[in-house]
Order: sequence, then C-alpha cells, then structure tokens
Amino acid sequence: MLKSINDNHPYRGVRSGVSLFFNRVWSGWKYELAGFFIFALSWIAVTQFIFTRPELYHFKGFLPGPTLAALADAFQNTKFWVSVFASLRRIVLGIAISASIGLPLGVLIGFFARLRKLTYSPIQFVRMISPLSWMPIALLLFASFESAVHFLIVMATICPIILNTAVGVMDINPQWIKMALNQGASNVQLIQTIVIPYSIPHMMTSIRFAMGIAWIVLVPAEFLGVSSGLGYLINDARDTMEYDKLMAVIIAIGILGFILDRVFQRMQHRYS
Amino acid sequence: MKSNPVKPASPERISRRIFLKKAIRTAGVAACAPMVFPRPAAGKKRTLKIGYLPITDATPLLVAYSLGYFSHEGLDVERPVMVRSWNVLSESFLTGKFDLVHMLFPIPVWMRFKQNIPATVLAWDHTNGSAVTVRADSGINGFADLSGKQVAVPSWYSMHNLVMQLGLQVQGLEPVIRPPGSNIAAHEVNLVTLPPPDMPQALLGKKVDAFIVADPFNALAQEKFSAKIMRYSGDIWKNHPCCVIVTNDHLIKESPITVQKAINAIVRAQSWCLQNPRETAHLLSKDGEGFLPVNESVLNRVFGSIPDKELTHPQWHVERIGFQPFPFPSATRFILEQMKKTKVEGNADFLTALDTQAAVSQLVDDRFVRKALDEMGGMKGFCHCDMKDEFTREEIVEIN
Repeated sequence: MLKSINDNHPYRGVRSGVSLFFNRVWSGWKYELAGFFIFALSWIAVTQFIFTRPELYHFKGFLPGPTLAALADAFQNTKFWVSVFASLRRIVLGIAISASIGLPLGVLIGFFARLRKLTYSPIQFVRMISPLSWMPIALLLFASFESAVHFLIVMATICPIILNTAVGVMDINPQWIKMALNQGASNVQLIQTIVIPYSIPHMMTSIRFAMGIAWIVLVPAEFLGVSSGLGYLINDARDTMEYDKLMAVIIAIGILGFILDRVFQRMQHRYS
Repeated sequence: MKSNPVKPASPERISRRIFLKKAIRTAGVAACAPMVFPRPAAGKKRTLKIGYLPITDATPLLVAYSLGYFSHEGLDVERPVMVRSWNVLSESFLTGKFDLVHMLFPIPVWMRFKQNIPATVLAWDHTNGSAVTVRADSGINGFADLSGKQVAVPSWYSMHNLVMQLGLQVQGLEPVIRPPGSNIAAHEVNLVTLPPPDMPQALLGKKVDAFIVADPFNALAQEKFSAKIMRYSGDIWKNHPCCVIVTNDHLIKESPITVQKAINAIVRAQSWCLQNPRETAHLLSKDGEGFLPVNESVLNRVFGSIPDKELTHPQWHVERIGFQPFPFPSATRFILEQMKKTKVEGNADFLTALDTQAAVSQLVDDRFVRKALDEMGGMKGFCHCDMKDEFTREEIVEIN
C-alpha cells in the first residue's frame, strides 16, 4: 500500500500547475476587475486595429460596438435564453455523467497501484483522441441527437476528471495512511475516511477543469441535429456571416463559463 | 460502499477485490445507462424522420412538412431535423436517425456502389439551385478565366465538383488536387473542398478565387459583399438534378405505402413551390418558420427569377432553383459517366468497373414518383415538355 502511494509513477507529472492554479484562493477582486479591463481593452485595441481596415469591412461585426449591440439584442430574445439553458443543461448533464464515472474511477486508480499501471495505457490512449472523432460512434450508439451530444461531452471530460482525481489521491500524506494501517484499517475504511475526504478539493478542481473542456466541445457537438444551444447559434451566425451575433455569443459563453467556474470555486473553498 | 471486514490470512487482498468488483459494477452501470435509455420502445407506430442541411436544396421536404402535406397523407412525421454537414447527414442516415433525406446525387452513388449501403434514390428533390461565384472585381467571367486559380467545391462526391470539372475540361483546363501553396501551372485549376458556410468568407478573404455551391451561400455572398455569379448551374446544364430524395431499402421493403405517401407529399410540395416562390422564401426564412437561418431577402434572390443579362442561355428559361420530381434516366446515366471522369481525393476505382445501365436501375426506384405524378395529372405541372413522351428527355449541356 505504502509502496503504491510513494511510487514514482508517471501521473505525478500531471500534478501540473493546473491543480495548483485552481486550488489557490483568489481573494483579490481588484485584480480580477483590473484583469477584466485589460482584457477588454486589448480586445478593443486589436479589433480596432484589424477590423477597421476597409478590406475587412465585412468583418466589422467583431468590433466591440456591433458586438455589444448584438448582445443587448440577444438578451431580449427568447431564442437566446432557450439556447443558454439548452447548452447549460448539456454541459451540466454531460459533466454529471462524467463525474459519476470518473470520480470513483479516479479514486480507485489513485489508490491501487496495480490498477493504475493497468489503466495507464488505455487512459493515455483515449485522452489524446479528439472527442469530435467520436461523432460517428456517438450517432451509431445513441438513438437521440441529444444523448449523442452528452456522449461527446463525456468523452471529452472524463479523462481529465479521472487523472486529476487520481493525482489528488496520490497526493495524500503517506504518514496518515501508515498510521491508519497500523491501527488495522482496511482498504475500504482507508478510502472512506482518508482518501475520499482529502481528495475532494482535487475532485472539484478536476470538474472545474472539465467544464472548460466541455464548452470547447459544445460548439462542434451542436453541429448534430439539435435545434437550440449557444454552439448552434454560433453555427447559425457563421452560416449567415453575421459576425456581430457570433461575437455576442462568444461573450455570452465567456460570461456563463466565468459564473459556472465561480460557483464551483465557492463550493471548492467550502470543502477545503 | 460496504465491504466485508473479516480478516482472513490476507485481508487486504480480499477486501480490495470485493471493493473493486462493486465499484466496477457501479461504474459499468453508469457508463451503460445512456446507451440503453434512448432506444425507442418497439412496436410503436412508426414516425417518419427527416433530416436536412440548411440549404435551399431541402425546400420540398420542409415545405411538405410545413404545409401539412405529410400529415394530410396520414403520415406521422416529426419536424425535420437540421444538421450542419454532409458527413453528419450521411452518418445520421446510415445509423437510422433519418428515414428520408436530400442528398447530392453522387452521395447515394458512392454509398450504394462503393460502401454497399442500401440507399435508394426515389425522386429528384429539385433542379439547378447552384452557381459558381467569384469576387466582383476578379475579372473572371467564364471557365477559361479560372486557369491557374483556386476553386472550392463542397465535397468530392458532389454535383458541384462534377459540373465544375466538366466546365474546366471543356475549356481544356486540367483540374488538379494539390495541397495549399503548391505551384499551379497556367493550364491547371486547383480544387479544394470547403464546408459551404466557410465559402463566402474564404472568397472574401482571397483564400479561393471561386466557389461552386448550393444556395443560399451564393445569394448570401451576393447580398453581403456583392459577389458576382460567374455562372448559374442551370445555365451550364439545363435543369440538371442536384439533390435527390434518398431513403433506405428497408423502408421500401417494410412499408412501401409509407414511401408512396411521402413521395406524394413531396411532389405536391414541389408543385406548390413552383407556384409560390415568394411564399416559399418567407416560409423557410428566419422571418417565417425558421427552417433556414437566413433572412427572407436572401431567399428571395434564390426563389426569384434570374435577370436575362446574367444568363448565357436566356432561351433555356431556367429557374435559379427549379422543382421537378421525375428522375430522368438520361441524367442519371450522364452523372455516372461524368463521375468516371471526375477527379476526387481517395480511391474511386469502384466507378470504373460500374456498368452504367445496370447501375441506374439499381440506384433509382421511380415507381413511387410515377404513381404520384399520375395522380397529379402527369408532368404538365412541372415542365413544358412533350406529353407523349414525358418521361424521357435530352440532356442539354453547353459550356462557354
């Protein structure tokens, strides 16, 4: 047991900056605000510089003015809100499925050295595959387009959840485990009383991380036969060259992503 | 997760195994759940599922649904489902998500004769409906001007690729397929595939010099940046087929009556579209039923008539998009023959071995459309053709 925890296995490399980055407590709202303004200013500067050139006249929708106008329009449009909820639903459901499979699997993989070795190659193999190449398989396996979209989100997010959770389990202080073992704890007791409680922050990190990836897959996944969603709206805007609408949806996705992440951050801090 | 805390000789191993077993079982159930749930209960009344792409080629299917022609025939039809690419449409068709779709004529050819997929062409979906579009300031006025240029087609197995290469060959130009940045000789034209929605942008951004695609993307380019139509496809090959109505053999075997009813509805819709172009434009647009994401003004260009000065054969009286259901064998033969001469990426050996005459009868099943036309009083609603011999015609192709 001890050996498995102390093993110098390849996942240790994954204990990347990401985990640390996500775990740090951010309390500087002033910095957040400043960061936001710098970001907005650079958007304005870059688009002003590029999209005001006469030959790019047709792409002026990317400029802040038309974008914000389109965003204000969208806010008053029921179709937009239907899309927001459709996309949110897909993301939340997809990640819930992912988490219900990935979190237990991650705990087991982190805890049992042999299982870790056994699953190393399949996980590394699967995680490199672009989730979108699963599209034909998704269409084959699922009767409805909606579940095919969920499947794509699951395929995209499950590996990061498993890996981050496993890393969290392996990060637990070996002394605690040693102590518990000395007092005759079984594996199940170990997992219940030490492993799971102490890897919860990592689990939350893994879910926050997965959320970002889920949004990435959402736009192409909504190429499939669904009739609403933010990805669907982006595709619509591209089909009709309405770039102000495209930018408006991009910004909406950014805002939603930020809010979702903030919700999880709060939950994470409660547990850590 | 409860486990057995008994302590035999090797407690660790046993409890671990039990724990694992349970955990795997739970994970397994969770993993399989979404695959099991969505399967529809067997024995329910069959609803007909229709898929389409956001192009005007889908018009008859959408109109037949929207005007209630399918339900009038007693069919149970869901609202047609839009997907965004030919790949997704084909894959969804293959996996039984759709019973009835519109497809570019070469796609079912490729499906049936290369992939051995039992896809059958039931009728023509529409005629014409595409165009070669260039930038207004490009100075390209005909196929000869395309020498040394980059031209985008929507897919290798498309009518567009076929018509484009036909035009180039007649002008003595050689279509080639080379990676971007390669040298293109003066007598060559490089073909690239692009998804239709990306074509107007690519043209505007000078990534390509011309594209050939279905509407509304030509109309959109005209509307958005005053692109120029170099040639309407119907002006190259008079009233050529483009998309066809495709279903799978199982449906024909299992329920020929359903197929007959669907075709009746589609033929009726085609006739309605011919008589009501402005209403059709409104219905499909996002100002109407929202089947296509475009504005009515763009669609009015597509369903409106073409000004004579933009045509090289005004005497043909072709529509920008026309509707005519009968799958003339002469056109199918022409397509199969032309496909043998058309360059595509990938292995196309199946075409060389194909016996054109036999292939036509295997691919196209015109029983249903003949019956539907009979009930509507023949072809006179659709063409000014010779009524004695209404189911044959001469293919007129003229490129200049």
